[in-house]
Amino acid sequence: MSKLSRAQGSTLLYGKLQDEVVLGGIGGPTYDLYGAGDRNRNLYTWGSMGMISSMGLGLALARPDLRVIVLDGDGALLMNLGSLATIARKAPPNLVHIVWDDEAYETTGRQPTHTASGTDLAAIAAGAGIRQALTVTDTAGFSAALDRALQARGPWFIAAKVIQEKGTARPPRDPLFFKYRFIQAIGVR
Amino acid sequence: MLWTESIVAALKRHDVTLVAYLPDTIVYRVLALMERDPFFEMVPVAREEECVGILAGAYLGGRRGAMFCQNSGFGNSVNALASLAVPWQTPILMFIGQRGELGEFNVSQTGMGRATRPILDALGIPHVTLTRPEDVESLTSDGIKLAYMTRTSIGFILTRQLTGGKDE
Repeated sequence: MSKLSRAQGSTLLYGKLQDEVVLGGIGGPTYDLYGAGDRNRNLYTWGSMGMISSMGLGLALARPDLRVIVLDGDGALLMNLGSLATIARKAPPNLVHIVWDDEAYETTGRQPTHTASGTDLAAIAAGAGIRQALTVTDTAGFSAALDRALQARGPWFIAAKVIQEKGTARPPRDPLFFKYRFIQAIGVR
Repeated sequence: MLWTESIVAALKRHDVTLVAYLPDTIVYRVLALMERDPFFEMVPVAREEECVGILAGAYLGGRRGAMFCQNSGFGNSVNALASLAVPWQTPILMFIGQRGELGEFNVSQTGMGRATRPILDALGIPHVTLTRPEDVESLTSDGIKLAYMTRTSIGFILTRQLTGGKDE
């Protein structure tokens, strides 16, 4: 079993993508999404910690024709756990919520998050009512979970346990450029 | 037309179909109409800040939405507005049930009652205070137009004078 890193996981995801859209949450998720390979259907964020799961829900409801992949962090999701219950209540079949769980606030100095002391995000998601909620701990497990989540009816919640590693790629911090590129890519007037 | 019907009419005129909300005594008078109307898709949230994320995501996908909450919930949403709605130039239509002003009975509501407009001003988000039922449809409709045409969020403040407020 080889341990998963967020960068490897992002690259693995990139290799499987077709026309899915991917939303990157603040910090590591955005950095490694960009590092794995820039696409017009990627959207990067640099703020609004915790909001990426809610953005994914809104986009999934607006565009049932698209599969929406959200890349979240453990610290960010802990700020917006209520969004899991909201996602469960609406249950969009086209939403795939992936959390890179490195058990730390990586960008602020690797302080431990609650998942370091036993908080189980997949159990919380399942308890919120998301039926397809699972934890993966290695590369093979993540790859298999992705294959299912990219095909089968969701919503999906995948907590991917990853090693602690700083994301090094940096997309330009230009929300408006990426906003218009994204909406053009998915065909919004 | 009742003020509640006027808001529904303005939303329909501008094709605003997604409604993210946390119920409150005041805004529920409008939400109750929309729940029965298949034109609207209702998204109940656990905390009001989620509404900003949901509507921003929907806007990226080309769908228009509005947020309904009490002003306490507007207070819960400030960072999402400042860091998502404002820099991304994403129109978030906010219908805010205003507590804590004239006629209020609960001292816990007065802090946000005084803070709601100054916070909107500090964020550079325009707002309209609705007090007279006959003004609601035109002011709401014009506000929605401003929001989408100029890509700004906007607050519609629903006062006790308009809505009758909440019983003690």
